[in-house]
Amino acid sequence: MNDFAPPVTGRAVAAPVELPGAAAPQRRLDLLHQISSAGGTIAPTANPNAEHGYTYALSGDDVDRDLAFLSARNYLEARFFDRVSLCPKCDSHHLNVREICPSCRRAHLSAEGLLHHFACGYVGIPSEFSPTDDGSYLCPKCNRKMHHLGTEFDRLGKAFSCRGCGVISENPPVEAVCLTCGARNRAEDLISTLVFSYVLTSRGAAAIRRGSLFDGGEEDIVVVGAPVYRRGVILEFLDNEMRRLQRFKDVFSVLSVKCAPAALGPDGNQAPTEWLSRLREKLRDVDLIGQVGDALYIVILPQTKRREAESLCDRIEVALGRESPLTLSIAEITEPRDLAQALPGLAARAEP
Amino acid sequence: MINGFWHYFISTIDPISNLGFSRALPELSISALPHWWLIVILPFVWNVLPTLILWVVYLIKPTAIRPPLPVRPDHAYPLVSLVIAGRNESATIGQCIRGALLCGYPNIEVVFVDDNSNDDSVAIARRAALSAVRTQKDAERVRIFPSPRRNGKASSLNIGIRMARGEFIAITDADSVIQYGSVQHWLLPFDDPRVGAVSANIRVLNMPHGLLTRLQDIEYALLFTNGRLISASLDLLNIISGMGGLFRAEILRRLHGFDTGLGDDTDMTTQIRKQRWKCGFSLGAVVWTTVPETRDHLWRQRARWRRNMIKIRISKHRDQFILGRYGFKNALLACVLLLSRLLWTWAMAVGLFVVLFEFGPLYVPQLIVSFYWIFLIYLLIRALIARDLARTPQPINFALLFLYPFYLMSLRIPTLYAEASELMRIGAKHPYVPDHVWGEIPWW
Repeated sequence: MNDFAPPVTGRAVAAPVELPGAAAPQRRLDLLHQISSAGGTIAPTANPNAEHGYTYALSGDDVDRDLAFLSARNYLEARFFDRVSLCPKCDSHHLNVREICPSCRRAHLSAEGLLHHFACGYVGIPSEFSPTDDGSYLCPKCNRKMHHLGTEFDRLGKAFSCRGCGVISENPPVEAVCLTCGARNRAEDLISTLVFSYVLTSRGAAAIRRGSLFDGGEEDIVVVGAPVYRRGVILEFLDNEMRRLQRFKDVFSVLSVKCAPAALGPDGNQAPTEWLSRLREKLRDVDLIGQVGDALYIVILPQTKRREAESLCDRIEVALGRESPLTLSIAEITEPRDLAQALPGLAARAEP
Repeated sequence: MINGFWHYFISTIDPISNLGFSRALPELSISALPHWWLIVILPFVWNVLPTLILWVVYLIKPTAIRPPLPVRPDHAYPLVSLVIAGRNESATIGQCIRGALLCGYPNIEVVFVDDNSNDDSVAIARRAALSAVRTQKDAERVRIFPSPRRNGKASSLNIGIRMARGEFIAITDADSVIQYGSVQHWLLPFDDPRVGAVSANIRVLNMPHGLLTRLQDIEYALLFTNGRLISASLDLLNIISGMGGLFRAEILRRLHGFDTGLGDDTDMTTQIRKQRWKCGFSLGAVVWTTVPETRDHLWRQRARWRRNMIKIRISKHRDQFILGRYGFKNALLACVLLLSRLLWTWAMAVGLFVVLFEFGPLYVPQLIVSFYWIFLIYLLIRALIARDLARTPQPINFALLFLYPFYLMSLRIPTLYAEASELMRIGAKHPYVPDHVWGEIPWW
């Protein structure tokens, strides 16, 4: 559901750990500074010589690991950028991926449309039909001439023909040969690694202003100075609510709260603390509010149907008044796809 | 009146009458009375005697009829490709593919060619395949070709044959299911290198549905199981059914697959026989098929079969009647089929009119009633032997044997009509074959 999982799938990956040496926090803070200077976002660029085919235009010793570390602690938000396939034997991304014959496993295939002769029912690849002087083809089965496509013969879509053993396959298996170690792997055996771009979060911006990373504890859970949970925490709550929905059919509602850019401070990433506090006061004890984007918050309303949620929303809007920078919208979640429809941006970010 | 009819009806099996009959038997057996030979002796020799001989062989040497399976390691089983062609078969294709993948044969692949269905056959086939395989390697055993245009069954089968990788190619209908363990039995006759194709033992999947399907269960037991067992043992098997046939792949490829039009199985069997390959039958290779459940459906099926018989055997392959061109047995088989399927039916119809005019109207009912009882006794013998040999028909269906003659007589209506119209070439176009293909098929 969230992007805080380690950015690799398909194999066990060590969680980001503190590297030896006292310079690690400062090095990471430098990374945050660099990302902030680059406009708050850093995207990977393709590099054939890089370990996984992508590098970040950042200076530092162990950039990939530090980015994962900062993302896991909410200083950065990881957004899906690409998926890279790696050799399961040597981890190389230098792979030659191609279809192979399902029978002899050779890659000597040609994509040809099968021909079907109506008169005798013969089905074969075009090279089996000899061309004649008058531009027609000769059927190898009945030796009749085939002049007109559509009335005398037809093409049956695309198929792969093995030049080695002659087997025809409509959907041949895919194999990858590692150009580094030479291993031949089925496509489904390849390791899949996710590559992310990273966006500075309000917590990251706060760390830059403060001049150091936060030490953990409560700050890892709630947004600094605001009564709302951090993105990772609220998404965990949301995941939990979805599991309750699937297991117990516990319908719930989600109140999405968008904040006008003017209320986010000059950098555009400061939480509108006062308005969020007023919003929090109007919610019930069991409701959970958290930040999922710089300007987007959600409130989980457990066991609340649309009608109740709408009346709550009305009460909040009245309480906040007309000058409020917060825009509220309600979605009742009765099945998983409701959430994707209600919060498409959230669903997109959660995509692996 | 009903009472009178009943007395009349059972008078044939009255013990006193039969005592008199048994006393007259020695004289009858050497008499030249045509009724005696036509109604009693000929049906006995044609229908009952071969079955009795088969049964005696079974009693003396059971392995001659039911050969035991040799124990082989998994890698010793040749690859068998099951080719299924179907159109709008979403109701049955799932069980067909699952049945094939889970039939207990370690080296099987399934090729399903969807003939441009309007329903969700392809999606169901894919789901069924995924539900029956455990690994991705297993998933490669199923290949599905959704045809972009409707081509008819024969051409769809040809696509499947082109895609098949196996040393042997099995062909079944999309509404058929292979019984667990059948493929191993199916391959047994191929130990004889002269055997080119083997017919499966076709059983009725939807037998409990109703009276009509139960009567077909009896028919399949007598004709498709017993009849083919006998004819295969005499090397006179005339059809490798499209519901369940296993072929050497090299033969199908050498013949360039099936010809278009109706009767693809009859045509292929005839072509294989003309190439001097033997056609076998395997009692242990059971394929369950869905038979027609309504009278209309059944009549259409039988009319189609009869039309195919005439078109393929009499028109397209008429050269096999020539003695010496394709061997004595093929010529004999062609003559026997012509006699038993076509001429015999018409001779019976004409014979009834002759009797009517020769002996008067009162004699015809008497003749028919006598023939009914004789037929029923023969039928009972054949059904009991079939039950002992092949565990079919189902015991409960023995109670319906008395209706079976009427069932057969009712089938004469569509078949006589089909024969007459095919011979006169009326209404030959069948919806099974798409228009653009039908227009190109040569008329043999």
